Amino acid sequence: MANNLIQEANWKFHWRLTESAGIMVYLADYRGRRVLWEGSMPYVTIDHQRDLDVETDAGESHGQWWTPLGARTINGPVRVQSFRGGVELSASFVSGPYHYTQLWRFHDDGRINPWLTIFGPGIHDQHTYHPHWRFDFDLDGARDDAFERFEDGRWQRVEQEGWFPYGGEADEHGQVWRQVDFGSGAAINIRPHQWDDAEVFAIRYHEGEWPPFSPRSGAGMQPFPAAYVGNEPLDGDDVTLWYVAHVHFDQSFPYTAGPWIKVHGF
Amino acid sequence: MAPAKKPSKPTKAKAKPVAKAKKPATKPLAGNEDIFLADPTLFDPLTPGEVADALRTLTEDRRLSSMAKVGRYRVIATEPLVVKPPSLMAGHRLARVVAYDNSSDRCIDACIDLDAGVVSHLEFNRSQPMLSRDEEALAIAIATSDDRVRGQLALGDGPQATMHYWGRNDQDLAFARRSAAVVFGRDGQSSLVVVVDLIDNTVTQVVPSEQW
Repeated sequence: MANNLIQEANWKFHWRLTESAGIMVYLADYRGRRVLWEGSMPYVTIDHQRDLDVETDAGESHGQWWTPLGARTINGPVRVQSFRGGVELSASFVSGPYHYTQLWRFHDDGRINPWLTIFGPGIHDQHTYHPHWRFDFDLDGARDDAFERFEDGRWQRVEQEGWFPYGGEADEHGQVWRQVDFGSGAAINIRPHQWDDAEVFAIRYHEGEWPPFSPRSGAGMQPFPAAYVGNEPLDGDDVTLWYVAHVHFDQSFPYTAGPWIKVHGF
Repeated sequence: MAPAKKPSKPTKAKAKPVAKAKKPATKPLAGNEDIFLADPTLFDPLTPGEVADALRTLTEDRRLSSMAKVGRYRVIATEPLVVKPPSLMAGHRLARVVAYDNSSDRCIDACIDLDAGVVSHLEFNRSQPMLSRDEEALAIAIATSDDRVRGQLALGDGPQATMHYWGRNDQDLAFARRSAAVVFGRDGQSSLVVVVDLIDNTVTQVVPSEQW
């Protein structure tokens, strides 16, 4: 079995190429303490819209589509490269007119960049990409975690699962969401890309609610991860976060979507 | 970047008052089994033998006897699954098998405990998993043999990508039925989109790319 362990820049983590969720990173420790159980990119959906007004959506005739980023679409090897102050994984994926480079960058100051660079012309200009990342952060262990968002000028605890879009408010460092470990006070801070039109879903970890192999939970039903959102409490439990970006194609492409993630308190 | 349209979402969660953190004086060691007992080898890709083992165990399960007997199912993916303590499956070599049963139009999502040789989790649902490689190849074969498609392809056009597709509303057959969209073109430019119904194995839409 290939050894996909990387120990560099204060990080220790493993990676593997999945069938559909791009490069998965797992069991990631920073300065000897657990940060991430696993992180992946379950899918990038694409829809075609000539009118971007959400209210006048009825005129659109076609739905979304997607193709797995994984073993069947990878173009070349997964690259592991050191850079000044860190180490990164990258891989290129091609599916017809859609081209992507997935990146996992680990900085020695505790930052992680799970990013996706989007290339390719698509089948025409009027299309929007929806990359979905799934993070199962386990700060100093799976439990004793809480989720907070910056709203009304301060950090506010979120008690239940839910959908939390970026509404334009952020703390002085641009952070919008964070996962906090009660025991150690350590935190994972998430700063969205300004142009990602980003949102986060916070979901309590459950057996059976594993990473789905499609966004399609059923005809006429909420797609994943919204389909996993219920009313369960988050406080003190094991939390899974999904970061979703909405990127409309334009002439300035390529575009790199994805959050800045910063470990704090280690 | 212009704001993009979003899919429907659950009701926006309201911010709640900050709850008092239940902060223990010291974190008990017993709470961190997921760190100390995490075995990276459990994340390793399944060997061909493990894949075969998982599929045999699944198809021998009584709950799937009708599906296995009819044989109109496709295995979509078989991948390692790793669960955390305190799950009883933690530390076991697990395989997650996702299959699609065309005869009953449903998805099977199963976890096979390869150490114990049992199906430890089995769920039937109406989700639409990604297309299997067989389904992608089937969709291309159906599309390229359709006269309407052949009549609209230019010299040199070929299949570029096969997408898992679903319709926007129930006016579209692909809204509820398992479907693929085959994108044709050449040199990175697409010319035609062909929607294939994978239940009846027929072409349901042929649309020039610029009109999609």
